[in-house]
Amino acid sequence: MTDIQELFSRPQFSLPQQDKEQALRGLLNDLTRSHQERCQDYRQLLRTLTGKDEAWADADRLEDFPFLPVSLFKRRLLKSIPDDEVFKTMTSSGTTGQEVSRITLDRTTADLQARALSAIVTQVMGPQRMPMIVIDTPNVVKNRNMFSARAAGVLGMIQFGRKHFYALDDDMKLDVDGLSAFLDQYAGQPILLFGFTYMVWEYFYNGLLEAGLTPDLSQGILFHSGGWKKLADKAVDNAEFKRGLGEVTGLRRIHNYYGMVEQVGSVFMEGPDGFLYPPNFADVIIRNPETWEVAAPDELGLIEVISVLPHSYPGHVLLTEDLGRIHGVGDPASGWAGKQLSVIGRLPKAELRGCSDTHAASVEEQGVA
Amino acid sequence: MTVRQLVPVVGDCEPADLAEQLLGIESLPPFSDEAIAFAADLSRALARAGRGRPEIEAAAFWMRRAKLNRLAASFAELGTESSLLVPRGIVFHVPPANVDTLFVYSWLLAMLTGNRSIVRLSERSTDQAAIIFDAMRETMAHHPAIAARSAMVTYGHDRDVTQVFSDVCDVRVIWGGDRTVNEIRRISLPTHATELTFPDRFSLAAVRVDAYLALPAPDRDRVAEQFFNDAYWFDQRGCSSPRIVLWVGDRASAATAESEFFDRLRTVVDTKNYQVDGALAVAKLTQAYGEIMDHSIGSYRALGNEITVLGAVELPDVRGEFCGGGLFTSVSVPSLDELPSFVRRADQTLSQLGFTREELRDLAVRLNGKGIDRIVPMGSALDFNRFWDGYDLVQEFTRRVTVDAGRR
Repeated sequence: MTDIQELFSRPQFSLPQQDKEQALRGLLNDLTRSHQERCQDYRQLLRTLTGKDEAWADADRLEDFPFLPVSLFKRRLLKSIPDDEVFKTMTSSGTTGQEVSRITLDRTTADLQARALSAIVTQVMGPQRMPMIVIDTPNVVKNRNMFSARAAGVLGMIQFGRKHFYALDDDMKLDVDGLSAFLDQYAGQPILLFGFTYMVWEYFYNGLLEAGLTPDLSQGILFHSGGWKKLADKAVDNAEFKRGLGEVTGLRRIHNYYGMVEQVGSVFMEGPDGFLYPPNFADVIIRNPETWEVAAPDELGLIEVISVLPHSYPGHVLLTEDLGRIHGVGDPASGWAGKQLSVIGRLPKAELRGCSDTHAASVEEQGVA
Repeated sequence: MTVRQLVPVVGDCEPADLAEQLLGIESLPPFSDEAIAFAADLSRALARAGRGRPEIEAAAFWMRRAKLNRLAASFAELGTESSLLVPRGIVFHVPPANVDTLFVYSWLLAMLTGNRSIVRLSERSTDQAAIIFDAMRETMAHHPAIAARSAMVTYGHDRDVTQVFSDVCDVRVIWGGDRTVNEIRRISLPTHATELTFPDRFSLAAVRVDAYLALPAPDRDRVAEQFFNDAYWFDQRGCSSPRIVLWVGDRASAATAESEFFDRLRTVVDTKNYQVDGALAVAKLTQAYGEIMDHSIGSYRALGNEITVLGAVELPDVRGEFCGGGLFTSVSVPSLDELPSFVRRADQTLSQLGFTREELRDLAVRLNGKGIDRIVPMGSALDFNRFWDGYDLVQEFTRRVTVDAGRR
């Protein structure tokens, strides 16, 4: 059976789908038993759902593993480790008053998380650390009184660059002078850029337009994440995003990625064809929200994410509240194997009826930790 | 500071002007001919405009002429030789945003008892609410005395406006749950004013197993339909919608009854074409899994996305935040004796099937005010009544004046 190390040592996005499923299946069966043993809440849930009070029997297909809705982590602190092994607790982003998810990591899982992100990013970017433009305010990481998902996203990425330049001020205004100084030194060279999708477009791209700047970022590579909801309102989709940035900066290597704080290891990276691909240690299933059956190819449904990295909490199989499609499977020869996912957006919330005026809180899109 | 008036006419106005206008006119006597005639006309207008919309039809039916006469008669019985009930004055209603018809009942009872009313409506407006406003405007055009005493307005969560209306009212009525009650309670009232609050509530159903199993199949189908109405009309999020179903009797029969009851309910859900959308389905899953963990719930059964049944051995405290949409906790108990130790102040309605009046009265006596304001037959959980949450609204909207001629 494949162990987790092998999934790390092979190039990311290289496993043929069948091999991957076989490798993940064994690890997931073990993980399910391990969480069943160590997390009382998870044990209770399995007992009730299966009607049996015995150890998890091997499942044959990835779709046969019980999934937890991600919101469950807002409702309950689910962990599979004793308190003295808690290394850090991560929280999801959320608007004021809205409940946030709490995810408990031990040292092992935190290490796996760091290695996973590194394996994924260096696979796409190359091993070399480049001068980096962070499309955010420097205070996002300085102001540490709240470990927000945005800060976590920035902190996770800055390790892959050097000579960091934060392109925005606290009012989300583009630092034109600072950018010019940075570019005087590095324009035309390989540059790493990172930001949240909406901020990249709204403050960086529009800021450049406003200032009339056309910096040469043709050797640059941009990673961005955070969802398209706000940009969809402005009729900006992925194609328009790439076109606009390419026109103004010459940037061609632009990679959107999808992930969530609730599942360590699930960072789905955009390949050259515009689809999102799971790394070696993760996979994705689309479910029909009426029957919960696996959706047909190209059929819109709820995204279920799978990762073999969550060891400290039972988050290895999660049902998200995002809608998506799987278009097919990538060709391993292209360097992008695995399922081709596109994320359409959040499941729309209907107006709820009833006597109590509890307003459905507007949901802030989540970044990646 | 302006608010949007919706009834009796549409237009922007100053809250202070509105308040002034209501202060400048006198209350009508309780159950005046004018008020009854207006309500009967409104009933007809609503019945016409709301055809096919059960909530509006129910409101129209509730204020039909015969019912109004009965209400007037029972009101008359509240008076005595030495005392009479008079309107309190101005009633300020803050109904919930998500039940379109509730404000109609609150306002109507205040109106019938002679009061002038200000109703604060949500800015979120539905087609259904629009139909009601149209019917009200149309009817009030022929009833100037009622129109002059009713103002329905909409504005955002603006404390200053709420303060203006609170300053002139004699009764403030807050529907809409704990948060709304707490927010509005912070806004002061005149010293003489009273306040009625309708916070978050919790409701349950109890089925006497032997009585249910003795019913012929068509009657069991009818029970399923009645339960459907209680539970699903407001997406199971009404304060009276049952969330726990108690099966009272021996355990083996309870299991049989429960299983076939929910199968019949599934048929009703299909017939009524009630559907749970994706977001609600996920919310239900989250709540169900959470409750399984919170209360060590032993069984989970989903009959499609519309019916989820959690089977518990003991009564679990599942009160609080709730997704709705057909998530039931089903518990088998030997007798109603299990209830008194479980019931809390927040518990409102017990809808029941198969118990005798004596058994139910005995339960109410034993509860002795701990909770449960109404025990109703299955199918009547949502029927609005002047007695609500333990208040008699007709008496709350009036004051009792005593008249003692002394010894002569």
